[in-house]
Amino acid sequence: MASTETPIAENPEAEPTTIPASAEFIPAPDPDVVHGGHGFATNTGISNTKLGMWLFLASECLLFGGLITTFLLYKLPAPGDGPAPQELYDIPFTSISSFVLLMSSLTMVLAVSAIERGDKQRFHTWIVGTALLGCVFIAGQAYEFQLFVSEGMGYTSSRASSAFYTLTGFHGVHVTLGIVMLVSLLLLSFRGHINRHKAETVEVVGLYWHFVDVVWILIFAIVYLIP
Amino acid sequence: MATTHVAPASVDDDPDAHPNREKQYVIIALILAALTVVEVLTYTSPQLFLGEDGPVIIPALLLLMAIKFWMVVGFFMHLRFDKKMLTVVFYSGLALAVAAYLAVLTIFRFWGNDQVVQPPGIPVTSE
Repeated sequence: MASTETPIAENPEAEPTTIPASAEFIPAPDPDVVHGGHGFATNTGISNTKLGMWLFLASECLLFGGLITTFLLYKLPAPGDGPAPQELYDIPFTSISSFVLLMSSLTMVLAVSAIERGDKQRFHTWIVGTALLGCVFIAGQAYEFQLFVSEGMGYTSSRASSAFYTLTGFHGVHVTLGIVMLVSLLLLSFRGHINRHKAETVEVVGLYWHFVDVVWILIFAIVYLIP
Repeated sequence: MATTHVAPASVDDDPDAHPNREKQYVIIALILAALTVVEVLTYTSPQLFLGEDGPVIIPALLLLMAIKFWMVVGFFMHLRFDKKMLTVVFYSGLALAVAAYLAVLTIFRFWGNDQVVQPPGIPVTSE
């Protein structure tokens, strides 16, 4: 009697009942690991970390929007409240600070590009460059604040000065946190925890850094340059 | 014969999975630097923009600011190359913020000459 059973080799849909001892297993990709930006094992096709960062940045728009609006409403101090921030601005100096922060965005994106290609040497160089440029920006802001205070514009001198220091100070705190993140990335990389398969970690920190730059683009135009 | 059960290969194994855009980034940075120079010119040489009180300076600064914003978000933050959902998420937050604070500025009569600068509850002094 002829057998009706189809051999497994001829039926690709058949489930193998046993796994040969010689089978080689390659683990399935970790859903949290970047798949080259071409898709993730999530419903949205975007990694949760990246989506979370973008949601956070969207919420930051509301924070900085509120601070900028407050400054616009209170930028003219009442008579006798001391100098207005606009009277003390050193636009050439602030322009150089803006340029420094803008260039730090370039070094950051080059760092992300380097780690995506697995070039750790250049990644380290660009991350250190970004952190240093961030430090230069913070130093410039500290110098500016010190200059303004010496000119008689303290934090509580007027509602204009309070609004100014709160807005630019909040931004400075964000830059400082960004520098801490960059240094942490560098330390993680030296310990071997950052490689091209973990490039998304660097990209997410980069998103935060670029957002801080974007906020300064708004502050520089709205607070410093618009008459 | 050995059977190999291979999980789908990650495109991370492909060196071409991440296109090298470094040249593009440098060009974008140079454009951003040039736009910043134009912004500073509105302060140092306002006559180029029909004077400090002219009708051009504020729209020009807002336009330059918007272009710089769009370039950093689009290219450096990869929003142009990423999933559309991220664009929707970010610009929704931004649009909400802009709408909310435009409403606040309007309530405080920011756009007119009779601006209310005191918070609610404090009497407004009229000149």
